[in-house]
Amino acid sequence: MKMTKIYEGSHQWIMFGRDEGKPNNIIDTNQYVVRTTNRCLLLDPGGAELFAPMMAAVLHHAPVNQITDLFASHQDPDVISSLGLWDQALTNAKLHAPALWEGFLRHYSCDSIEYVPIPDNGGSIKLESVELQLIPAHYLHSSGNFHVYDPQAKILMSGDVGGAIEGPGTPVFVDNFAAHVEKMRYWHQRWMPSNQAKRVWIERVRNLDIDILAPQHGRMFKGDDVKRFLDWFDALQVGIAV
Amino acid sequence: MTNQTKAQFIAVASITSELSAVMVVAKEISLAAANAKAIAFRAGDKAKGFQPITDFINELAKETIELVTNINIYALVLYRLTVEEFQKTVTYNKFELAAKMAEGAVHAKSMQEPVDHAKLAMQDCQRRFRRDVSQLLGQLEAVMHHARAARVIAANSRIEASQAGEYLQSLQAVAESVDKAAHTIHDNVQRCRIALSIYRNS
Repeated sequence: MKMTKIYEGSHQWIMFGRDEGKPNNIIDTNQYVVRTTNRCLLLDPGGAELFAPMMAAVLHHAPVNQITDLFASHQDPDVISSLGLWDQALTNAKLHAPALWEGFLRHYSCDSIEYVPIPDNGGSIKLESVELQLIPAHYLHSSGNFHVYDPQAKILMSGDVGGAIEGPGTPVFVDNFAAHVEKMRYWHQRWMPSNQAKRVWIERVRNLDIDILAPQHGRMFKGDDVKRFLDWFDALQVGIAV
Repeated sequence: MTNQTKAQFIAVASITSELSAVMVVAKEISLAAANAKAIAFRAGDKAKGFQPITDFINELAKETIELVTNINIYALVLYRLTVEEFQKTVTYNKFELAAKMAEGAVHAKSMQEPVDHAKLAMQDCQRRFRRDVSQLLGQLEAVMHHARAARVIAANSRIEASQAGEYLQSLQAVAESVDKAAHTIHDNVQRCRIALSIYRNS
C-alpha cells in the first residue's frame, strides 16, 4: 500500500492507495487518514478485501488504540464493507456516517463501534484541536453523502466526486488536467445522477478555500487544478443513463 | 471458504433436511396408530392384545415429533453458530495477515491484542460448536432409541395381528407400516449422526 503524506502541520493527512496486492477485479480506492497527537481518523477506510493492508499501513502512523474515528462518505462496499472487521479490532471508536444509511450500514456489523449519524445538513468531527467540517454532497452519487473539509489543511476529501479509474501505479496527483479529463468524464456522467445536486454542491464548495481536492478513486487535484475541476464539472451534463 | 468449512455448513444444513423427512414419517406412524386403534376396536376380543400396542405406538410417534421439533430448533442454533465461527475465523485470518504485513511498522506490536482476542473468539466458537454437536448427537440418539422401540413394537404387533382372525391383514398392514417408518427414521437419523460425528472431536 502506497502512503503519501499530503499535509503536515499541527496534524497530518496521509493518503493510502495503489495497493499492489489488491485483487484485479475490485476497484482501486484511496483511503485517507487524519492523524493528530493521540487520535486517528480513517476516511472511507475501504472494503473488506482491503482491511489487512490498510490496517498494516495505518500501523506505520498510529497504534490500534489510537484509531478512534472512522468516516464513511456513503454506504458503498468499497467505502466501508470493512466495517465488521474494524468493529472487532477497535475497542473505543466512533463511525461518523450519514444518518440516512445507519440501518443499512449496520448490516456490515457495528456492535462495539459507536455509530454517530450525520444529519442531512452536515456537521463536524472534532479530533483534539482539529475541527473537520462535514459537507453535504447528497446525490453525488449516493442519496446520503458527505465530504470532509479541513479548513486548516485546506483539503476537501470529496468521495466519488473527482474520481477516475486508471491502471495500477497511477501517480497520486493530476499532472496534466487536460489529459486527465477523459479519464473521469464517463465516471461523472454515469455515476452522478443529478445536475441540480451537482450545481448546489459546486456552489457550496466554491466558497471553501481548497488546496487539495482528494477523491476516493484516482488522482488528487492540487492548486489551480481544483478550480479547473470545478469548472469542468460545472459544465458537464450528468445522469446520462436515462 | 475452505472445503472443510463448506462441508461443515452442508452437514449442519442437512440435519434439517433429514429431520423434516423424519417428521413426515413420525406423523405417518401417528396416523397408523389411530387407524390401528379403530381396527382393534372393531376386532374386539380378537385384537385384545393389540389395543395397548396402539396406544404405545401413538405415544412413541408423539414423542418422536416432539424430539424432532426440539432438534430442529437446536439445528438452527448450530447453523447460526457455524456462520459465527466462519466469521470469527475470517476475522482472525485477516488480523493475522494485517499483523504480518505490518512487520517493521512503528506500531506493529499494537496489533497483537486484537489478534489474540480474535483467536480466543474463534476458539470459543469452535468449542461451543463441538459442545453443541455432542448435545445434538445425544438428542439424535434418543430418536434412534425411539426408532428401535418402534421396530420392537412392530414385531409384537405382527404376533398380535396373527391372532386377530379376519382382521389379520389390516393389523399386519399397520405393523408393516410402523416397521417401515421406524426403518426410515433410523436411516435418516443415522445419516445425520454420521455427518455430525466427525465434528464432535475434531
